[in-house]
Amino acid sequence: MRLKIGVYVCECGPNIAERVDIDRVIKVISSLEEFEDIELVVKRYKLLCSNDGQAFLKNEIESNALTHLVVAACSPRDHESTFMNVCKKTNLNPYLFNMVNIREHCAWVIPDKAKATEKAIRSIRAGIRRTLHQSELLERELDANPDVLIVGGGIAGMEAALMLADEKRKVCLIEKTERLGGKSIFYSQLLSRQGNSAKMIQQKIEAVQQNAHIQVFTETELESVVGFFGNFEIVLKVGKETELQTGLKAGAIVIATGFRLLNPNKLPQTVYQKEDEVYTTLEVESMILNEGKISLKSGKSPQSIALVHCVGRDEKGYCSTICCSTIIKIARMLKAKLPQISIRVYYRDLCLPHKTDQQTYEEVKAEGVDFIRVKEAGIQNTSIEYTQIDGVKKKESADMVILAPAMEPADGTEALAELLNVSLGETGFFQEAHHHLNPVATSIEGIYIVGAAQGPKGISESVAQAQAVSGKILNRLIPGEKIVPEVKVCKVLEDFCTGCQTCLEVCCYGAISFNEVKGVSVVNEAVCRGCGNCVASCPSGAMRAIHFTTPQLYREMIEAIR
Amino acid sequence: MNNTYDTLVIGSGIAGMEASLLLAKGGKKVCLVEKLPLIGGNIIKNEESYPHLECSTCMVAPVQQEILQHPNIDLMMLSTVQKVEGEAGDFHVTLHQKPRYVSLTACIGCGMCYEPCPVSLKNEWEENLSDKKAIYIACAGALPNVPVIDPEHCLQISGKKNCKACQEACMFEAIDFSDQENEVDIRVKTIVVATGFELLDVSHFSHLGYGKLPGVYTAMEFERLFASNGPTSGELTLRDGEKAPKSVAIVHCIGRKEQGYCSGVCCMSSLKHAHFVKHKLPDASITHFYSDLCVPGKLSQKFLHQVKEEGVHFIFQTDPEAVRVAENGSGLEVKYTHGKGVQETLSVDMVILEPAMIPDKTASQIAKILAIDQDNHGFFRTLDEKAGSTETSRSGIFVAGCAEGPKDAQYAVIQAESAVGHVVRSLSVSHTE
Repeated sequence: MRLKIGVYVCECGPNIAERVDIDRVIKVISSLEEFEDIELVVKRYKLLCSNDGQAFLKNEIESNALTHLVVAACSPRDHESTFMNVCKKTNLNPYLFNMVNIREHCAWVIPDKAKATEKAIRSIRAGIRRTLHQSELLERELDANPDVLIVGGGIAGMEAALMLADEKRKVCLIEKTERLGGKSIFYSQLLSRQGNSAKMIQQKIEAVQQNAHIQVFTETELESVVGFFGNFEIVLKVGKETELQTGLKAGAIVIATGFRLLNPNKLPQTVYQKEDEVYTTLEVESMILNEGKISLKSGKSPQSIALVHCVGRDEKGYCSTICCSTIIKIARMLKAKLPQISIRVYYRDLCLPHKTDQQTYEEVKAEGVDFIRVKEAGIQNTSIEYTQIDGVKKKESADMVILAPAMEPADGTEALAELLNVSLGETGFFQEAHHHLNPVATSIEGIYIVGAAQGPKGISESVAQAQAVSGKILNRLIPGEKIVPEVKVCKVLEDFCTGCQTCLEVCCYGAISFNEVKGVSVVNEAVCRGCGNCVASCPSGAMRAIHFTTPQLYREMIEAIR
Repeated sequence: MNNTYDTLVIGSGIAGMEASLLLAKGGKKVCLVEKLPLIGGNIIKNEESYPHLECSTCMVAPVQQEILQHPNIDLMMLSTVQKVEGEAGDFHVTLHQKPRYVSLTACIGCGMCYEPCPVSLKNEWEENLSDKKAIYIACAGALPNVPVIDPEHCLQISGKKNCKACQEACMFEAIDFSDQENEVDIRVKTIVVATGFELLDVSHFSHLGYGKLPGVYTAMEFERLFASNGPTSGELTLRDGEKAPKSVAIVHCIGRKEQGYCSGVCCMSSLKHAHFVKHKLPDASITHFYSDLCVPGKLSQKFLHQVKEEGVHFIFQTDPEAVRVAENGSGLEVKYTHGKGVQETLSVDMVILEPAMIPDKTASQIAKILAIDQDNHGFFRTLDEKAGSTETSRSGIFVAGCAEGPKDAQYAVIQAESAVGHVVRSLSVSHTE
């Protein structure tokens, strides 16, 4: 079949027409010798993106039976999708279309009209050459399973399960320990902005247990996961006997594995023994919950309690966000139970970023809790050694010391990250796909993160994230609807692949696996997003980005600089 | 325009955009209402966003572009909500739209119309640091890239003179002086409120000299001064437009005591401001006056350390509002109390004030129209007993972003997605009934 390329130059009103000599562009392009075995249709139009312009283009494609299309106009960021959609209304495959930017690259930046025109001609020539090397690409649709696997039965995992189950999604909720609730079951009381009562947590546990759409597996961990968004196949390790449960399928996976507290004993500035009256915030919460009171190991009531903030903040290199409000909540509970005793809080910075917490702090201060600002503080058994703001060093002792240690990623985080092929950030928590724009997703499509697994946070933020994940999943994975994976993916040329597996390491999306039998890499096209990392790093040139092949790029470049 | 929607989203900042797009991609019909002639909210005023110092406009532009092009989203700019009747599942909403005078479909954003306009005005969007014409876009890169006419100051529309300069310059017949305001009735099943924040007006803190001493800036003014698409194209100069500051004081927590809350994000943005100054003016000396450094989250402390290593000074104050700023010759003088209780002064060329985040000025009116509760600060109240949820006091209405309280962009997006989760649930309830 003889090739017929349509080249359409948009005037973009005066934007291109006044700065580029379009008549000359058309004359030069129409008479190019190197394209003589190809039929060229070269025309100008005043505004191709307008409705009239799109109709004109559609008619041109059809009436000329074009095999390829080049539009020389504005930035592809503005209108590439517009013109691809025009192609989709015809028989022309949209990947046989190419957009050349002669506005931002020529008209708007080169004051000399002759030079701008010259560059426009070169760009268009390069665009034509590239287009000739492009291939038809076809969008595919895949079936998707709308069920969801949630890993971790703490507050975040439970909230996500309930939101999804409410929409009749089948949820499989797995929990490593023998019970649901995570760390939140140690709390006897919540902040006032969380409704004070910890009953909410018990209610959530019951609601999860009673929900017919949620299947709970306790003492269960993930054994393996294969597949991709919409089609994960899952094997669980269930119960003490670690029986394998296979055959589970889900379209999405939610990581809700929570946190653990840093062990303060590991820090040089906190020196104490097991028999000392030194507790972490979680240990005190659980003492109040289980015993209903605060007492020393001897059973006596303490006469003085010291609370210390920021334990491990410098060592971890981050602020755990919720310790200040937690300490204030605990100080208030202690004051209510033991109104006569001395309660002293040693803090460095008050980090109370929630709109209600500063007020709570003022109230607790007025209730008689002493807040002492320090530059730094350490403990030696139950003595607090600290440096005041003015540099003076002091030492005070208390009957009981409560430490607010930093939050760390939960045990097993690294293994889970490896199993799911998702990244951990520099502080060891799961890494979100984009800090601002996509905070509950990971770089692997269909795998989400909620709660303290993503970073230090409290109940409210965990609940919000869990609801966010439900918002994501309910809109991305709709029962009965198919998913359309990326078209411009990467491929392996098996003959060239030496099996070095460099590509496996650089792939951000976990799209590449290794075929041991053939000794070559294999790209899962449903997962690949065509970023090209593998292409750039392959030492033997075996990787190919199918819409950015070497011939396409080289031919385009050679034509542009010829 | 179709007049029934699954959701009405009020406000097109980062939260409103995320809620609209997520719903639209899930096949829901969305009406997005924005009071300004452009979309994007406050985040697009920032040149870079912490902690990765990513270019904000580059980050948000693709989202804005998607909003403008998505077939499931009807965007109404220059519009406000006038009346809401009915209940969850069937709200009857009346919207009021001001005329733009420029056709969104005919205009290609070439900008030929500004030059000939004879009127010159202060550009409020640029914190009055630059001028605009009576036909204008807020800044370079504003989306949609279609200007708007200020009818009060346009000679033709205000009837002062028969001026058609912009119309004559437009090659696309996009300008229509007879454009009229519009009342639109729509029916929606759910509502997401994402009206955002503004910064506390600092001019009433007379001891800080804002508005009187030209060297004193608000955080937002500084953001625009630093922005490459801003009034000085990113050149850090004082108000004379020539002199670069040699010394800068950054005062934290302006209004924290008065408002009764910590806004949670100002410490990080003030650190960013210090970094910006160091980046453009490496020899400038920078001093922070702070009482608490609230830099929460897994990445922020690292940024704090980075800024400290860049040579930025930090002076602790028991009360940052006790800091005084006065004139000192051609420069400024900051009076403060040193950690050991001694009063000292520091001479600087520039002072940046970091004010509290407060609800958008429309919040109270919107609360009244929607019949939803506000908290004692004027932010929209969510249900305490549902810790962290985005449900408001009224069924079918959800809140996301800084309309609910001060927060960063990440948490605003999380709330938007949470609100979307609730919207989907409400929709299937109203569907089955």
